[in-house]
Amino acid sequence: MTEYRRAKPRTVAERVYRALLRAYPRDFRDEFGDAMLEFHRDRLADARRAGSWPAVARIWARVIADLATNALPARVDALVRRARKRSDERDALRHTPSLTPNHREDYMLSSIVQDIRYALRGMRRSPGFTFTVLATLALGIGASVATFSAVHGVLLKPLPFRDPATLVRVDHVAPYQTVSEPEFADYRRDARSLTRLAAFSFAPAMLAADGAGGEPERLRTVLVSDGFFQTLGAPMLLGRTFTAEEERRGVPLVVVISHGLWMRRFGGDSSVVGRQIVLNDYTRTVVGVLAPGAEFPSSEFAAWRPLRLNYDSLWTRNNHYLTVIGRLADGATVEQATTEVRALALRMTRDFPETYMAGEPLIAHVAPLASVTVAEVRPYLVTLFAAVLFVLLIACVNVANLLLARGEARRKELAIRSAMGASAYRVARQAFTESLLFAVVGGAAGVMLAAAGVRTLRAFVPANVPRGGEIVIDPSVLFFALVITLATGLLFGMMPAMRSTRHDSADTLKEGGKTSHSGARGLGRLRRALVVSEVALSVVTLAGAGLMLRSLWNLRDIDLGFRPENVLAISVNPPVSYTQPQSLALYRRLVAEARALPGVIGAAAVEELPIADGLSGWSILIDGAPMTTVANSPAAAPQKVTAGYFEVMRIPLVRGRVFEESDNESAPPVAVVNETMAKQMWPNRDAVGGTVKMLNETAPWATVVGVVRDVRARGFLDPVEPMMYFPQAQAGRSAYYTPSRMWLVVRTAGDPASLAPRLRGIVRAAEPLAAIARLETMDQVVSASVAARRFATALIAGFAGVALVLAGIGIFGVISYSVSQRHFEIGLRLALGATPGAVVRQVLGEGMRTAALGAVVGLAAALGTTRLLSAMFVGVTATDPATLAIVTALLVLVALAASWLPARRASAVDPLGAIRDA
Amino acid sequence: MSPAAPRTPADVLPLRPTDFLVLIMLGRGERHGYGIMQDVLAHTEGRTELEAGSLYRTIRRLADEGLLEETARRPAVDLDDERRRYYRLTPFGRRVVAAEAARLRALVRLAEQARLLSPQPASQS
Repeated sequence: MTEYRRAKPRTVAERVYRALLRAYPRDFRDEFGDAMLEFHRDRLADARRAGSWPAVARIWARVIADLATNALPARVDALVRRARKRSDERDALRHTPSLTPNHREDYMLSSIVQDIRYALRGMRRSPGFTFTVLATLALGIGASVATFSAVHGVLLKPLPFRDPATLVRVDHVAPYQTVSEPEFADYRRDARSLTRLAAFSFAPAMLAADGAGGEPERLRTVLVSDGFFQTLGAPMLLGRTFTAEEERRGVPLVVVISHGLWMRRFGGDSSVVGRQIVLNDYTRTVVGVLAPGAEFPSSEFAAWRPLRLNYDSLWTRNNHYLTVIGRLADGATVEQATTEVRALALRMTRDFPETYMAGEPLIAHVAPLASVTVAEVRPYLVTLFAAVLFVLLIACVNVANLLLARGEARRKELAIRSAMGASAYRVARQAFTESLLFAVVGGAAGVMLAAAGVRTLRAFVPANVPRGGEIVIDPSVLFFALVITLATGLLFGMMPAMRSTRHDSADTLKEGGKTSHSGARGLGRLRRALVVSEVALSVVTLAGAGLMLRSLWNLRDIDLGFRPENVLAISVNPPVSYTQPQSLALYRRLVAEARALPGVIGAAAVEELPIADGLSGWSILIDGAPMTTVANSPAAAPQKVTAGYFEVMRIPLVRGRVFEESDNESAPPVAVVNETMAKQMWPNRDAVGGTVKMLNETAPWATVVGVVRDVRARGFLDPVEPMMYFPQAQAGRSAYYTPSRMWLVVRTAGDPASLAPRLRGIVRAAEPLAAIARLETMDQVVSASVAARRFATALIAGFAGVALVLAGIGIFGVISYSVSQRHFEIGLRLALGATPGAVVRQVLGEGMRTAALGAVVGLAAALGTTRLLSAMFVGVTATDPATLAIVTALLVLVALAASWLPARRASAVDPLGAIRDA
Repeated sequence: MSPAAPRTPADVLPLRPTDFLVLIMLGRGERHGYGIMQDVLAHTEGRTELEAGSLYRTIRRLADEGLLEETARRPAVDLDDERRRYYRLTPFGRRVVAAEAARLRALVRLAEQARLLSPQPASQS
């Protein structure tokens, strides 16, 4: 050893080598360090003599590799050697944890093994304590890991496409939203910061029954422009995407299908490429199957077919229906691309004044595809994640508190060890090892909880949450689990470790292991501070949860404009070849047969179901106005219904009348408008008697016969747009086409779901070729539209509940401890005539003071943090006094309950006994 | 450290190829670590280049098993650096190397009898 120390490294290379040698165990270094250095020196000298830099570099590379493969085994060797060497002494050592420096050398690794063994023994010795700590940690870590798996799967994981960071979406600001064909062509031609651009649109399609028992099925399909798959860089499981030829008109029809459809329809048969399916009555050849998870824009889509834009004869510029995606050019940023498309859009606004409404210029922006895909759920997930981290923090505080309390109980043990010469560092390290061990075991249990949690999560995650299938426990999630496990171990282990070094061993031993008063006061303060912070954290979590709950509650109060209860809706999808007479006859028959069913109050058909389907606005003319341009005409959304629709949905009539059976194909065209449209288009006039027509030379004028209440077409929070209703029978004339795909809606006296089989039977009998895509009660439709919010709110409320319980446990622990420390004082007071009631009040007061302080800090913090969430609140502000008051009251109740038990115990102190023991 | 020496060479056979090589090199005389490495390099046509870490771990293990030992004897001082450590075979180590070589020779004979290898005088190369 002295020999080793004396040998001074002479060059930088030798110094580096010597530093590297530190990876080997001490005894190995002592024995061979100098020899190894000499070895290395000889080697380098030879290499320099023989040649060149590459030879030297090669030596260093080999040295590193050598180190990597041998250092750890050498340490294990050293442990084995030591264990062998001391096998005789083992019995003697078994009862003395080697915290005392009874060996000349301090073998880092082996002493850590001892620390771990010692900590394990401690954990076994007090199973109740161990269980509490581990359960708290497992809960906190498990909830965090499960939530992170959702955040990671939905928000963080890159899209499954080539070079996903450069994928963007081009959007227009309302009222245009989507992109028209000429606009798309312009962007594609002129945008320099985007290398590729592709467009797509959606359309439902009927998949015909096949010979192999596959039922007719309604699919959601994507119509894609040329270059769509090349732009996206989507991975294929089988086959290929479309060729340039197939994207043009007039060649055999082709289709790419999803993994899901492939499994469902073809049983995962790998010979599917080249097979044919009938989609919307046309036979298409399957050319490829997308890899699972690569469905774009979402997993709800089952097939992709070429859009076949005709660039020589594009649709009109005001027909906004395309969604545009693109690739950023090399070195271009999203901001540059936005600036460029914005300029292009403004140029279009100038160049085509007849298309763009005055005062409504076309405004474009570019956003990363990854973020727009999940834009709607991001705030929920981020909130959830923040809430769960708060819970984890509270769990840490609680565990720190428990460990501190136990550290106090083990003061004597620690003092003995210190007295025997264990260094402060060694004692602190022991405390730390214990904390880390708790964290690691708790973390492992947490990951198991999270695995179960993720399974549950996936079962309950609403179908409309994008990328829900990506929520899995994968290596990244496990890495996160490892990081937070170690972080929590450090966090809650720090305080007990620091505190363990602060004991004055002589004093402690003199006191026979009892806590000195000054020490108790210091510890009491520390623990109280921890509980205050814990209460504060739970107030913030509770406030967030409270506001989310209020928002969900307020949503229920929003008037949808119709009564969803006791209504069953079934979507009927006859073949696309259906003619107008066929469509009218089908729905007349369906409505009549549904009405005849027992328990049915009314039945009707509607093209777009409120809440579930969005409607887009069409340009119209009002009250005999002359033909004009799109820019100069108002717009409203056309909805097509059969007579009886308003009654079935209980949409109140405000003025005039609703449709009747006599408003048929031969009767004069009529319309019913919603209140918003009546107010906007006929300000200060009666809308009834007014006329409306599509912005089209040949469309007839329809007379407004009634005004009905506004209905939320898209969801609870979307603004109501002007809407006009046309009878289905007249829609071919007054609204461009007669719908054949409609929803049959039925109001029942009792449970609507019980009627489902019979309704299905009616549809099957009337048109065996019709697919039934969905059959739901309106209550289900309404509740699905807020599913993501309800799901997030339920989780946050759950987290807040856990936070509250943990805070309660924290208060209970601190007050109990304080009571046990003041046994003597309480006994004395009782002996001097204090009533038990006074003692109870005093202890309760103490608990309340802690809770109150925490609540004040927490409320201040809540005011700051809930503001960040205000975008998600409905009908409630981030500083809503009622919610904050309820949260505080809840906390006070919990604090009272948590202090009650220790208070009872304090009042039952036997005064004589307490004084005698002191 | 006093290793519990195995009673017979059979207890430590077969040797790992590296162990065998190191012991053979020491059979030619005392060597220090770098010398062993150079010998091994030379006698394996440069195919086996031992690194310090693995070499000294091997040395330590072989010493623990009682196959080699450090020598107190050093070459003349002016030729040497005091920090080098020299190793030699123990008598037991010598018996083990011989036993291993015999074991390998028996295997080679088997291969020859199976006509997998043509018999050749070993001293040719």
